[in-house]
Amino acid sequence: MKTTRRDIFKFAGGSALGVLFTPAPWRLITDTALWSENWPGIPRPARGEIRAKFTNCSLCTAGCAVRARCVGDQPVSLAGVRGGLCPFGVTGHHLPYHPARLRQGPVSEATAAVAEAIAKCGPDERVAVLDLRPGRTASWTARRAMAALKSGLYIAPAQSPVAVDLSKAKTVLSLGAPLVERWGTPANVFAARDGFRLIQAEPVESRTAALADLWLPIRPGSEEALALGLAGQLSTAETAQITGLTELQLASVGQTIASCRLSLVIDKNMSPAVVSLNVKLGNWGRTIGPRAEAPVPREWEKAAPVTELAAVPDRSVRVLLIDESAPGEYLPWDAIEKKLAPENPLVVVFAWSANGYGRHAKYVLPTPVYPEALDDIPSAIDSPAPCFRIAAPLVAAPAGVVNPSEFIASLAGLPPSDTLRERAAAIHQAGLGTLVTYADAKSVPVKDVKPDDFWKALNAGGCWVGQALPPANPQAGAATVRAATVRERLPRATDDLVVIATTPPAASLISPLFTKLYQESDLLLAPNCVALHPLDAARCGIAFGTHAILETPNGKWSVRVLTDSSVRPGVILAARPEMAGAQGKVVRA
Amino acid sequence: MTAPKKYGMSIDVDRCTGCGSCMVACAVENNIPPARPGANDRNGLTWIRVYKVDNGEDYPGKRSAFVPVLCQQCGEHTPCASVCPQQAVDVDPQTGVVGQMPERCLGCRYCMAACPYHARYFNWWDPRWPAGMEKTLNPDVAPRMRGVVEKCNFCHGRWHAAKEKAAAAGKTEIQPGDYVPACVEACPTGAIRFGDLNDPSNDLRHPDSFRLLEKLGTDPKIYYRSKRDWVRQAGQAARPVSPEKEASRG
Amino acid sequence: MDKHFIARGVRRCSTRQFLLWILPWAALLAFGLYSAGLCLIEGLNQTNMDNRFAFGLWIYLDLTVIALGAGAFFTGFLLYILKVEELRAVINSAVVIGLVCYSGAIAVLMVDVGQPLRAWFTFWYPNVHSMLTEVTFCLSCYLTVLLIEYLPIVLKNRKLRQVPSFLVFEFELHKLMYVLAGVGTFLSFFHQGSLGGLYGVLRGRPFAFREGLAVWPSTFFLFIISAAAVGPSFVLLTTWLVQKISRKPLVRPAVLQLLGRISGLLLAVYVLAKAVDTLVWINRTSPESGFPAAQYYSWRPFGTWILFAEIVLFGLVPALILLAPKLRARTGWLVSAAAMACCGVALNRFVMTIQTLALPTLSFDKFLSYYPSWQETGTFLAVVAYGVLVYSFSFRYFQLFPEERELKLEVREQEEVFIWRTTSSSAPCTQ
Repeated sequence: MKTTRRDIFKFAGGSALGVLFTPAPWRLITDTALWSENWPGIPRPARGEIRAKFTNCSLCTAGCAVRARCVGDQPVSLAGVRGGLCPFGVTGHHLPYHPARLRQGPVSEATAAVAEAIAKCGPDERVAVLDLRPGRTASWTARRAMAALKSGLYIAPAQSPVAVDLSKAKTVLSLGAPLVERWGTPANVFAARDGFRLIQAEPVESRTAALADLWLPIRPGSEEALALGLAGQLSTAETAQITGLTELQLASVGQTIASCRLSLVIDKNMSPAVVSLNVKLGNWGRTIGPRAEAPVPREWEKAAPVTELAAVPDRSVRVLLIDESAPGEYLPWDAIEKKLAPENPLVVVFAWSANGYGRHAKYVLPTPVYPEALDDIPSAIDSPAPCFRIAAPLVAAPAGVVNPSEFIASLAGLPPSDTLRERAAAIHQAGLGTLVTYADAKSVPVKDVKPDDFWKALNAGGCWVGQALPPANPQAGAATVRAATVRERLPRATDDLVVIATTPPAASLISPLFTKLYQESDLLLAPNCVALHPLDAARCGIAFGTHAILETPNGKWSVRVLTDSSVRPGVILAARPEMAGAQGKVVRA
Repeated sequence: MTAPKKYGMSIDVDRCTGCGSCMVACAVENNIPPARPGANDRNGLTWIRVYKVDNGEDYPGKRSAFVPVLCQQCGEHTPCASVCPQQAVDVDPQTGVVGQMPERCLGCRYCMAACPYHARYFNWWDPRWPAGMEKTLNPDVAPRMRGVVEKCNFCHGRWHAAKEKAAAAGKTEIQPGDYVPACVEACPTGAIRFGDLNDPSNDLRHPDSFRLLEKLGTDPKIYYRSKRDWVRQAGQAARPVSPEKEASRG
Repeated sequence: MDKHFIARGVRRCSTRQFLLWILPWAALLAFGLYSAGLCLIEGLNQTNMDNRFAFGLWIYLDLTVIALGAGAFFTGFLLYILKVEELRAVINSAVVIGLVCYSGAIAVLMVDVGQPLRAWFTFWYPNVHSMLTEVTFCLSCYLTVLLIEYLPIVLKNRKLRQVPSFLVFEFELHKLMYVLAGVGTFLSFFHQGSLGGLYGVLRGRPFAFREGLAVWPSTFFLFIISAAAVGPSFVLLTTWLVQKISRKPLVRPAVLQLLGRISGLLLAVYVLAKAVDTLVWINRTSPESGFPAAQYYSWRPFGTWILFAEIVLFGLVPALILLAPKLRARTGWLVSAAAMACCGVALNRFVMTIQTLALPTLSFDKFLSYYPSWQETGTFLAVVAYGVLVYSFSFRYFQLFPEERELKLEVREQEEVFIWRTTSSSAPCTQ
């Protein structure tokens, strides 16, 4: 039979019709759904073996124990072992990929420049390290290095000499301490919360105030006056006038904390006035006591003392090395600049990004970012027992980064050593305390653990918990303060609004996912936003959500204005500490 | 065949500090991208979103509370399931979870108009992560392209993982601790609790419990708790506000 | 130049003038296509819609033009099924309007959805419970019907009818017209209704939610009646407008008045039904959902004035005007009332789409506002431009108004008589 063209067409037509009765074309059509889902440009998550790694979060002194879910070696999610993590902790594994994160820096240039500057130091000039997160093993290294240099100086913000025990308290009076917002160790705070009555004294109805049993809406800056008033060092009338509370309210609060057997008064940093109020109330040795540190090797005790910035003579620092590699306290640049030598001071900053003190530095050297960095975490303010926890790296740091304490140690000619291991050895040798491991939820006395196992456990997210110091003598606080001094320190009543900062400042880098909390929901006050009472905003002629300029003696910022009647009239709530403290005004852009 | 479960949550508004851990943990688990420059709170992707509510007073009588709102997993007359023209919404009888299929979704957004809880979110942009951050994506959840609707599904990837774990151990039932949505795991105060509403041993339903917009008859599976009356009132319908109060409220 | 394409016995303006007319509309269409292209390529972030305003200008536009385009099916129903022969004068025009409205609405819908390539999913995985499935099916089918109804109009073109097979096809098709009209009416009944049903079934939006008959909420029926009421008004309005722009009489005044009367009658029925429905909603349906109706009108700018405007000002008033023979006889009143009726339906669609979404449902929601972006407006204007262009081409090359030739002859006769009577000078004939 001859196959004609007609036959071919018939066959083709028949096949086409027949294929329609098979699943093939219909499945192909349905598959277009999947093709359109996996469009080019949509990333496909990498697959691999799922593992759990343990570490401790070094983003604040809470040092929460973290279990990381890893695909191969890459963490893809972080979870708290003793409860949840704060949003910074949950997204910590994103930090290494932040667009502003530094990976390279002029390391050899900076090394040479620093060595030269140190050699050229005059007799009255100092080489200083400013450590914004003191109390770490790296801080001890810096102190030892400064002791080894003839003109070395170690500067750090004052650390609270006391620690509190919330689990023992029945009534807590907080003078502006953000108790439920990353103050202390969140897991401890929330575990203890149901056991005490909370009175929050604060100008703004913050989260802590909203969840407190009682909120005292005091005037901004009057926390110290309130502490002194309750301690009897200011008259009730005077305290009422300064704080804006009524005498009845003051009497009631005073009665509450005095009559409670286990009360506790706290503020952000446990200031002397607050400590002496606690002593007066008889809380010393019960809910408040001396703060302890984990043991250090004996040789380290020859380290330089800790000097507060205010105690440094002006214009005396020729070389300043700022360790901004661990998120810590904010000190205004003006206060630091005053201490620098007038001509050509050399400032080197160790940081994750160039946006912090790096703006004022000659050299910015990149450091490992959490969770790349190997570091230890000092004990939190609500931990009377000393702790030692290592933030073990979960991922490798990029090649160009610098370890600040190694850099500083080599400057001073200290021999390179594994300082964390040395400290762990010293702790183990002291034989006190317990080793807590989370992978197997065990708690073992240190003396029952071998030194190598101890070190291994600490590197796998374990925690050493020591014993609290005996109460001994209570802190002799700054007892008598004159009312005039207190009144001088208050913000003056002018037409300008008072700018106060909000919750504890975040690290210089935060995960890009924080847009969920800032941009996509206004849940947290974003760094470029301020909040005003609606009537103040109306008075300034600014509507909700519009842009304006915040003018303060510390500088000018372009901000987005939100209105919130949680904010006291006459107050501007800002998210960045550099905006706060002074009086400022908001002007239409 | 195992007995059908009715997964639900109990959210204690008196414990919620409004920290936002649940919001970011959800974004980490479900591969939700960070916002693009033009995004704001009206076109962002926040499968769980914590709202700040208050008692309507001015300073200093103002009292605030934080209410996390996510898909309420409506049981009765599920508003979104019946309106989707291509059956991209599926109510699973075994778990009670209202599932959303982004691959089926046409992006007509009818379900978004139907949802009274505003729990559904549209991908107005294609997802984009900063360079390198794609390494941190969860392999158990597929990222979605633009033009489709998405919402909370009680971390379905985790449910699958728990089922596989149970199967590997030769069991038919998921062990309770094995299936925990990301927001529940992340909450530092334990305000969000999760479990099977059919299980009488848990106390997800409590005398202080209330649900959002109860009178609509959607039978949500999220039970909120608070001892404060004004918080319970806030969970009900929208109320008109006087212009003077609007001026002094935030 | 193109006068061979223009039907005999009617005059159209010169090609140059025509090109001048379509040029700005073509430019608008080009701009609109660019806007729509941006939305397709860059994504819907080009619009001002968001998660709270999931529907915006486009959906509002779709609902409104479909209601206005209802003249197509309703005129067809009246002419071919109920045998109201006077409407033959406007049926072609109504079909073109319908075609333009429906095809424009579907084109905008394709830009509005996030994944236009998945448009066929509704046909492949239909959800029988969803009103939107019903809308999709019926709109697609009805568009096909309209295209088939448009075909004879096209094929009757002076040049095209010279092709014998076209003539035969057109002749055979014409025999089926009443079948098509019946199918069209059936489909339109359902999709006009389902568009109302889209909002009436929203249990989560007590502002829009209505009780009804079995699975159909009252808005299903109200939308059908309002569409049937406004269809003839819109046909009336466009006819009058075309007569004004082309400066030619195209239909007898009696036809326009008939359209007005039909519209008025249905509008009166609609206003009554709507009033009853509103009362039931205020007193029972809405409060039972926990939402007292008065609160909806406490959020500015949507006070009770909008309810009044929708039902009374743009509903009852035009109905009464259109029902009054003396007023109907005067073009000014007739056209104004028709315009008001169209506004009323547009307002109703606005209330159902935009106001429903603006109103808060949770107590911690805010009342939100929305305005379209330029890309959205551009796309909307593209539809308008497209409509004007298609209609202009159809008017020029096809015979949309069968009575035009007759009327032209009548006018010419009257003028000749006038000239003959007044003067015998060699004044040129006015044509």
